[in-house]
Amino acid sequence: MLTNFNKKRTINFFLNLLMILVVLAAVFPFFWMVMTSLKTRAQTIDPSIWIFKPTLENYQAVFEKRDLSLYIKNSFIIVSLTTVISVFLGTLTAYGLARYKFSHKEDLAFWILSLRMLPPMAVVIPFFLLGRFIGLLDTHLLLIVVYFSFNIPFTVWMMRGFIEDIPLELEEAAWVDGCSRLQAIMKVVFPLVIPGIAATAIFCVIQSWNEFALAFFLSSFNARTVPTTVTFFLSVIGVLWGEMAAVGVVATVPVLVFAFIVQKYLVRGLTFGAIKS
Amino acid sequence: MKNRKKEHLYFILPGVLTLLLIVIFPTIFLWYISFTDYELSAGWENRRMVGFENYTYLLTRDKDFWYSTGISIFFMIFTVGVEFILGLATALLFNRQIRGKRLWMSFLMIPMVITPTIISLIWKLMLNTEYGVLNYILSLFSISKINWLGYENALWSVMMVDIWEWTPFMALILYAGLQALPQEPYEAATVDGASSFQIFHYLTLPLLKPIIVIALLLRSIDSLKTFDIVYGLTQGGPGNATELLSLHIYRLGFKHTGWIGRASSNAVILLLLITLLVTILLRSMRQTNEGET
Repeated sequence: MLTNFNKKRTINFFLNLLMILVVLAAVFPFFWMVMTSLKTRAQTIDPSIWIFKPTLENYQAVFEKRDLSLYIKNSFIIVSLTTVISVFLGTLTAYGLARYKFSHKEDLAFWILSLRMLPPMAVVIPFFLLGRFIGLLDTHLLLIVVYFSFNIPFTVWMMRGFIEDIPLELEEAAWVDGCSRLQAIMKVVFPLVIPGIAATAIFCVIQSWNEFALAFFLSSFNARTVPTTVTFFLSVIGVLWGEMAAVGVVATVPVLVFAFIVQKYLVRGLTFGAIKS
Repeated sequence: MKNRKKEHLYFILPGVLTLLLIVIFPTIFLWYISFTDYELSAGWENRRMVGFENYTYLLTRDKDFWYSTGISIFFMIFTVGVEFILGLATALLFNRQIRGKRLWMSFLMIPMVITPTIISLIWKLMLNTEYGVLNYILSLFSISKINWLGYENALWSVMMVDIWEWTPFMALILYAGLQALPQEPYEAATVDGASSFQIFHYLTLPLLKPIIVIALLLRSIDSLKTFDIVYGLTQGGPGNATELLSLHIYRLGFKHTGWIGRASSNAVILLLLITLLVTILLRSMRQTNEGET
């Protein structure tokens, strides 16, 4: 009995060790980015340096020389507007799908979901040409609208699930009390789905903030977003790794904070509501 | 009564019409361009309709297209397969009693929520032959330097980064599936004296199957779309060693040549490949949905 207990403890010890290794592997590139961003230029190309006196010169450089604040401003405008409009339109559609019965409803729902899977490199060509014809290339508006193409389908699927989680009886009770459909939505449904809306919006923010291919081809200067800053650092010779890492830290810390907030809904978000954990 | 019947349209139409306008219309336009010889430098008014010429060019004369298709499919099967195996192992690893599990698992989501282009550059630094930290760590174990992003290894390195990025996706989804499994069959199996391998093989895997199918398909679709991390790491190089389909479209349409017509026909082919996978995915999601209700 005792040996069995000991055996179990040893196995558990090794499993814990393995788990820590897995977590280390997941975190290491982020850790290395933070380290690199705090190193001087000479230190960035010496991987044997792990303990050093941190410097903020890289952060200073990316804001002063690279105008990072302009990119952040563009990202902020595009991400916030595309999120607000997508969540609004998508939630309306989701309500229609959740609460009404009509023919070909599921066909419509799955057609919407299929749009979420469009490859960006396929649709970027027509977006690029159409944007050129109507003079919208390199504007915030174009990216805001183009980002609807993945944010609206995502919202529809997430919010449909959240709305269906609310019992219809609550709404019916409000109708009996003399509320119109819209009043019932505002008074009963809306307060209950606020957590769902918040989670969905945060996912839209993360997706839009990280998006690269469309932003890269549909903007040139005025509407450049944060992920397109990679193009500064692509040349092999003389890459300023410290500055690159500083841009990376500034760009990714907000995303990570948001991700921690929606951790509870992560699986639901990753599977478009197909798996609710 | 008549009004009531149409009421759902007020909710549905704004979103659906927006999608029609911004997705379906451009997609039709893409098909149209794929039948023209439009080149960026030649000007829009000078385009001609060329029928299937772009397609026959890609399929019969563009060897790089076939190479890109081949490595895209290989990339998809290999990375999704490894991500599934590692993800399942990770999910099982976390499916125990662990102190502070929520915190540990939140670290796990970092690779997939972090901006892909940014982290691909960090990987480029870490994979550098001369001063990358990976070779430094290997040197501590007296392993000689590896040229990670050289012609021979570049595709494998890109796949390694993809596996790093997306194994947590599999792990978290499968973990959610494991957590939702019913308890009774397990109690019965333990009473019957089944070994843990038997339980896993005859109980856990079949019960998880619907979730496994969805996770595999979602990842396969995303894998065929891969662009960001490859662009950051290698831009499709060296040569065309890592030129996945998305990067081939990029090279044809935007990089040197500006052959928008040919790039469009390649984009249509990518779209068709993905549509095929999406159709399978949606069918299995509908089955799972109907199973629930």
